[in-house]
This record gives sequence, C-alpha cells and structure tokens, in this order.
Amino acid sequence: MNQNNLSQTAWVGEAMQRFEGPLLRYAASVCGDAELARDVVQDAFIKLCEADRTKIGERLAPWLYTVVRNRAINVRRKEARMAPLYEGQAEALANGQDGPGEVAQKKEAHRLVSGALRQLPGNQQEACRLKFQNGLTYREISEIMGVSLGTVSNLIAQALDAVRLELQAKNGLAQEG
Amino acid sequence: MNTSIDREKLTAYVLGELDAAERPVVEAALAADEALRALAEELRTAALWTQDVFAQEPSLSLEAEQRVRVQQQAERAATENVVPMQRKFWPVALKWAAAAMVVALPALVVYSQLAKPQSSGKEKGELLLAEGPKDKEVVMLAPPSANREKLEEAKPAVPQQAVTDQPALSPPVSAKAKAAKPEAAPATAAAPTPQSLYGISSAAPAPSMGEQETRLGVRADFYGQVEGAVRRSVAPQEGKPDAASQVQLESLGYIRGPQSPPPPNPYNDPSKNYWPGHNTEAYAPIVENPFLAVTQNPLSTFSIDVDTASYSNLRRFLEQGSVPPPDSVRIEELVNYFTYNYEPPKDKETPFAARVAIADCPWKTEHRLARIGIKGWEMPAQERPASNLVFLLDVSGSMQPENKLPLVKKSMQMLANKLDERDRVAIVVYASSSGMVLPSTPGDQKGAILEAIGRLEAGGSTQGSAGIKLAYETAVGNFIKGGVNRVILCTDGDFNVGVTNEGDLTRIIEGNAKSGVFLSVLGFGMGNLKDSMMEKLADKGNGNYAYIDTENEARKVLVDQMQGTLVTIAKDVKIQMEFNPALVSAYRLIGYENRMLRAEDFNDDKKDAGEIGAGHTVTALYEIVPAGQSVPTPAVDALKYQQTPVAAPVPPSTSGEMFTLKIRYKKPDGDVSTKLEFPIRDEGMKYAQADPDFKFAAAVAAFGMILRGSENKGNANLSAVQELAQEGRGNDPNDYRLEFIRLVAKAAALQPSPPPLPLPKLIE
Repeated sequence: MNQNNLSQTAWVGEAMQRFEGPLLRYAASVCGDAELARDVVQDAFIKLCEADRTKIGERLAPWLYTVVRNRAINVRRKEARMAPLYEGQAEALANGQDGPGEVAQKKEAHRLVSGALRQLPGNQQEACRLKFQNGLTYREISEIMGVSLGTVSNLIAQALDAVRLELQAKNGLAQEG
Repeated sequence: MNTSIDREKLTAYVLGELDAAERPVVEAALAADEALRALAEELRTAALWTQDVFAQEPSLSLEAEQRVRVQQQAERAATENVVPMQRKFWPVALKWAAAAMVVALPALVVYSQLAKPQSSGKEKGELLLAEGPKDKEVVMLAPPSANREKLEEAKPAVPQQAVTDQPALSPPVSAKAKAAKPEAAPATAAAPTPQSLYGISSAAPAPSMGEQETRLGVRADFYGQVEGAVRRSVAPQEGKPDAASQVQLESLGYIRGPQSPPPPNPYNDPSKNYWPGHNTEAYAPIVENPFLAVTQNPLSTFSIDVDTASYSNLRRFLEQGSVPPPDSVRIEELVNYFTYNYEPPKDKETPFAARVAIADCPWKTEHRLARIGIKGWEMPAQERPASNLVFLLDVSGSMQPENKLPLVKKSMQMLANKLDERDRVAIVVYASSSGMVLPSTPGDQKGAILEAIGRLEAGGSTQGSAGIKLAYETAVGNFIKGGVNRVILCTDGDFNVGVTNEGDLTRIIEGNAKSGVFLSVLGFGMGNLKDSMMEKLADKGNGNYAYIDTENEARKVLVDQMQGTLVTIAKDVKIQMEFNPALVSAYRLIGYENRMLRAEDFNDDKKDAGEIGAGHTVTALYEIVPAGQSVPTPAVDALKYQQTPVAAPVPPSTSGEMFTLKIRYKKPDGDVSTKLEFPIRDEGMKYAQADPDFKFAAAVAAFGMILRGSENKGNANLSAVQELAQEGRGNDPNDYRLEFIRLVAKAAALQPSPPPLPLPKLIE
C-alpha cells in the first residue's frame, strides 16, 4: 500500500471516501437514528485525524468500526434494538435483464431473508451486518464486537442457518443463486 | 448430518474464513458427502441473499458541513504534528512470529485433544467419516483400494486444486474471479502441507514446521480454546494469506486482505467531491471544439441539444455577483435558451424545418459565421396530446431551502392548474426511503393533486435509484399511447453515494429510456448542484435538462413551454455537416462539445442523440474560415507517407455550395431514422444585413466565449456583446433578450474572481 506517501489529510480523506457510507449504515443500525449516526461517524473521523497512523497501520477498518460502535452504543436510543432492516427496497430489485418471474422470485427471497434477519438476536444481526454488508473478516468482527473469534463464528453460523432454513421453507428459491 | 464437519465450520468455509490448513479437510469431506455439499450450497445461497439484502439498504452520507469539519481537523492535525511515516508493524510481526513458534506446540496438543471427542462422538462409523476426508481427497485421483500409507505418501503431490475446483462446490463466483483462480492455484500447490494431520502431534518441532504449526495454531484459536496463543500466532500470517483462498474470498466480496487492493467500492466515485470547500457544485470540464481543416475533417457530426440549464445557472451566478465557473458555461445551451423566429414547417409530416443563414463573423470579420436554425413543428394547443406525468421529487434534507422544494411545489402547482381530464399525474418522492405520495391521478382531480403537493416536506438523505425505478414503473403502468409519457425529476442533484452511484443511476435511466417514457430533469437550488450528472441523466433518459431558479423560469419551462418541453416530436436528432473544401479551408462548431458524434454515428440508428419538442428551436453556429485563408490551428507536420489527397472534381451542379446540412431523426415512437439534406450556398451576406435572430445568437455565443475565456473569441468584448445583442433584440415579447442584455452589463461590472483553491487530492 502506498499509505506512506500520503499526507495525514489525504489519508483521512481516503478513509472517508472508503468508509463513510458503510460506517453510517452500521452506526445507524446500532444507534437507530440516521442523524445520531452522522454525528457518530463524524466524531470517528475527527478522532482518526488525531490518530497515529503508524499505530493503526493496516487495521484501519476494525479501528474505525470499533470507534463507531462504542460511540453509537453510548448515544443509542433506549428503545432501539438493532434497527430493523429498511423496507421498501423490493422495487429496487428489478433490473433490466430480469423477467417478471425472476423479479418476483428475488422479491420473495428478499422478503424471506430480511424477515429472518429481523428475527435474529441483536448480536447475530450485528455480526451479520459486519460480515455481509461490510465484508469484514471474523477476526476483525471479533475485535470490533469485543468477543472471541469462536463467538463470531458461532453467531454468524447460527444466523446464516436461520436464513438458510427460511429460504429452505420456500423450496425452489433456495436453488437460485 | 452425520459428519465431523459441523455447521459452524462449514459456514466458516463457505464464507472463506478457514485457513489453508483447514480448508482441505472440509473440501475432502464435501467431496465425500453429497448431503454436506447440498448443505454448503444452501449456506452459500443464504450468504449471497443476505449480502444482497444488506446491499439494498439505502445508503447514508455525511452532511457537507460535517465533512468540512473533519477536513479542517485533518488539516490542523497535519500542521500541528508531523506523523512519523515509518511503520512499526513488521518488527512487531516478527516478534509475534517467534512467539507463535513457541506457543503453537501446546496449542497443537490442545487441538488434537479437542478434535478427538468431536469426531468420535458416535461410534466408529463417524470416526471413519472424520478420517475419511483425508483419504477421499486422494481417492478421487487414486484407486479406492490404495491403503493409507500409500495415500499419505502420495498426498503432497496432490494439487489441492483437484478439490477446490469442483464445480459443484465452487461458490457462484464471477467470471473474473474464475479467471483469476487458475493463476492462484500454483501458489497453493507450491505450498503443500507435507504432514498429514495424523502425523503432526507426534512430529518433532523441526524448524521447517514453523508454518504448519502456525496454521494449526490458528485452528485452535478458531474454536476459542487457546485464544491468547493464537492471536499471536495468526497476526503475522495475515500478512501473507494463501493466494488461492484470497482470490476465492475476495471474489465473494467477503474479505479484504491487507495485501490485496481494496474491493471495487461504490464510494469511490471520482465525480463525488469529498472535500467540499465553499462550493460543491460539479461541472464536467469542457474542451472547446478547435478549428478543423476541411481536407482532414470534411464531416462535422453532432447531436442536437435543447437543454437550457447552463443559461439559468449562469444567470444565478451573475445575479449573485459572481463570475460563473468556465466549465459551467455551455455555449449551445446559452444560445438555445432563447426562442428564435425561424419559420416553422408547414405540416407535421416533416417535424422540423432548417433555416440556415451565413454572414460575416462579428468577432473575426475575415471569417464567416453560419447559423443552422432548426424549428420544430408547432403543435396547435387543441392538439396537445394527453400527458402521463410522474413527478419524481428529491425531498432530502438538502432540498429544504426556499429556492428548492418550495419552488418545486410552486412549479408543480402551476403545471397542475393546466392539466385536464385527459392527463394523469403521479408524485413519487425519494429520500431516506422512496414512496408514492400521489398515485397516478386524472388531471381534473385538482384538489387531490394540489393537496398532495401541499403535503410535501424535505428531510432525510437521498437515495435516488429506488425512487427512479418506482417512478418509471408508475409511468409505464399508466402509459398513454400516443400521449406524453414523462418522468419529471426535480432535484438539486446531490445524489448520495452507495448503491446510488452515478453509473448505476445512468444505467437505470438508460434501460428505462427504451420503454418510451421520456425524462425531464429539473435542477433546483445552488451550492451543491451536480450539473454534470444531471445533464448526463437527462441525456441518457431521452430527455431534457433545465435549471429552475425562479418562479418565472418555472413558468417558462413547465407552463409556457409545456408543449415543447413535454411533447417530443422527433428523437435521436443528429446533424452532420459536409464542408466543401473548394470554398472552406477550416471550420469550428461553437459549443456542443459534449454532443459531438463520430462521423459514422450519423447513420447508426442505434446511436442515441438529442430530442426535439414541439415548437422548439435549436441553433448551432459554425465559424467558417473561407478557402485561401490559413487555418488558425497549430499546423500538423505534413505527412511523409501519405499522398496529399487531391480533391475529386466537384460536379458542376454542386459547385458553389459551401456545405451540405444533413439531419437525421426518428419519430418519437420509431426506430428507423429519416434523413433530410439541405445544400447551402454562401450568398455573401454582410453582418449588417443579417436578421436580428442571427445577431442575437452571435452575441450570446460571443458572451459565452468571453465567460469561458475562449482563445477563439477574437475581438469580442462585453461592450461589443451588449451592442450586438441590442441590435439583435428584435421582437422580444417576454423580455428574455432584455434580461440577457442586463446580464452582460452585470458581468461587465464584475471583477474576475480568483481561481478556486486547489482541493486536496484523494488517491484513486
């Protein structure tokens, strides 16, 4: 990586460019509010400005997610569990190439999967989000959530199994990749 | 599932979380067990859907002020203390590696003890299964009768690829990843695991085993048993992940390895300005069309453009007392803002007429200026077809200011009052979530329509793509055959990052343009107007783009020009000029820089081009260097190996023609184009004899060139522009031309603004 050639400003800029959106979605899911999430993520980036790059090194992603998580938990609304998955995205699934049958099938699969995810305990949802939305490794997730690697492995396996069973219940869909 | 591979491990495998030492175990088990394969496939499917569901969540972005705050902090931090650049990572990693050597051994013992109860849970049968995979991996290539000793000997030679590449087991990876895989395979093969699992616990701690031990240490850690040991043993290893697994995992998008480039990410949109300074408006750079020598470029081809946004945007800048950024000035849009009194075609069979005039070029009198005027058929009011309009409104937080959503609402109210029972109107909004505010409603139900408009409020962040899809679906669902079917997008263009990147949006719009639904993009507001993007969207959506800054402008675009703006009479209108080298040495098209086409695109009906609405006028200006004068462009060296093209003798019938104007267009619902041809002679008209429209268009073009700082502006200056425009004012019922003259005066009174501060550069 050419991080060494970057100025601190450019480094933060690059981090923002890469992580602003993902961190906001994550923060919003933890604290249950988009506005609060913006504040949290802004604070995290400001903290990053003052951070020692050499200490963070390649661990930028877990560092940022950890900071965001801690702050988001501090400010989260009392009533907020993990924020529910957003609805109303089904129509966004239609793309030019799909026939009506495929679109319907996609919508159905999304309905099932988001239904299953919503039923999951908060920590499973969170682990899933970090894995599937943010593409983090088990190890990074374990650092961020402050649990052991085994726990992460277990949380995700349970969650994925629940999703699998939900899809399985509607046979046929599960065969579609 | 009667196998030693438990669901947790299988999940980890599917997600690419197993290390190289463990993967073969699972793979072998998979190869042996059909039920396990099916389960893996189901888990993979579940993983892909889960990923997909998460990906569909609307994206969020920081407010502009928040980004500024971070930037300021970063700059302050950068100036206060210079952060040392050398990395301490590797020395530490080495220490960890050393620790791993020591610690891994106990870890191995722990693991082997753990592994046994796990696999021997049920009787011998299961134990065999647990061991089976080791054999199975080889059995696939060797006769089943082979005994274990032999198999273990054979093992190092077995490329792991034999297992990993089984189609039934491979995750549905992209073609790219598949292509990359074979490359990675040798890396796997080159690092064979010489010891079988069975041999490890009894093996001596020879230095050569360091790697193996470390890997097994990882596994122990994986089950959370010897965490402290493992953490240390794994860290250095992360720096050199197994190549094959890396490729596979990255292809799934599940991991982002430290050595690998970051995955293509939707936030990496160069059109997004992440460091907004005082202004986040984005304009695509314009490189002015140069003079071209006719001998080398006899053809000039471009798509018409009826957009006018650049003019109203320029007016906003000047009214505010600032000089518009050069790249915001698109000369053709300035010229086309005005209506010219070209004679319309007689009937609607020929949808437009071409009116060409040639006179002296006012800013360089030795050149000629050719004006190509195209006038669309004027539709009598009673013939206005029924309209099926879907308003797609950006109601995100940034739309709150008075000149945005409130102005949108006023514009819509004006339009709503003009609709009747033949028309339909629907309102879709998008912000944090997209939704239908008003389902498609007949135009005579004014109460319902106005009430829905009144309820609109701004708040939340923008997610354009879902809304755009819903709007198009609504328009298609209420399609009026032979009518006007149009999505009218009102936004400040500040589409957010995420799934809503510009490319995705353009693709959605491009895909929908084929449905016969046209798109109008109305830009509102200031400060973060994404001009370049909005023009592109309108362009891709078979539509037009107008910038609305005042109620008057709203009336002009939505009410006065409702017919022209909304009723398309011809689409994919392309113009090709062929110049006669006997009379012209060089030419330059003024404006239309982002509308240029290749010569061969003219006859290619698949090539999209501009639309023209009823009653619209489109004007293009060519500055022409008559034959015999030198070409005012840097000379290219004479070609050494090419024969100088000798102009073919021109047939006498065509001599004296300066150029031929060719126009291609399609009917709004047609797929095949029609060509019109107009041979044009230069009658030698002096500038003074030119009609007011010619003079006015020339004045507007000259104004544009001055604002752009064009090197081709000749002796044009603002007072000359004012004078020309005054001469060309002619019949100006709405005082639009008078307003232009006022703007020129305003520009003359302004000092040129200092160049914008350079923005910090973001890599990649």
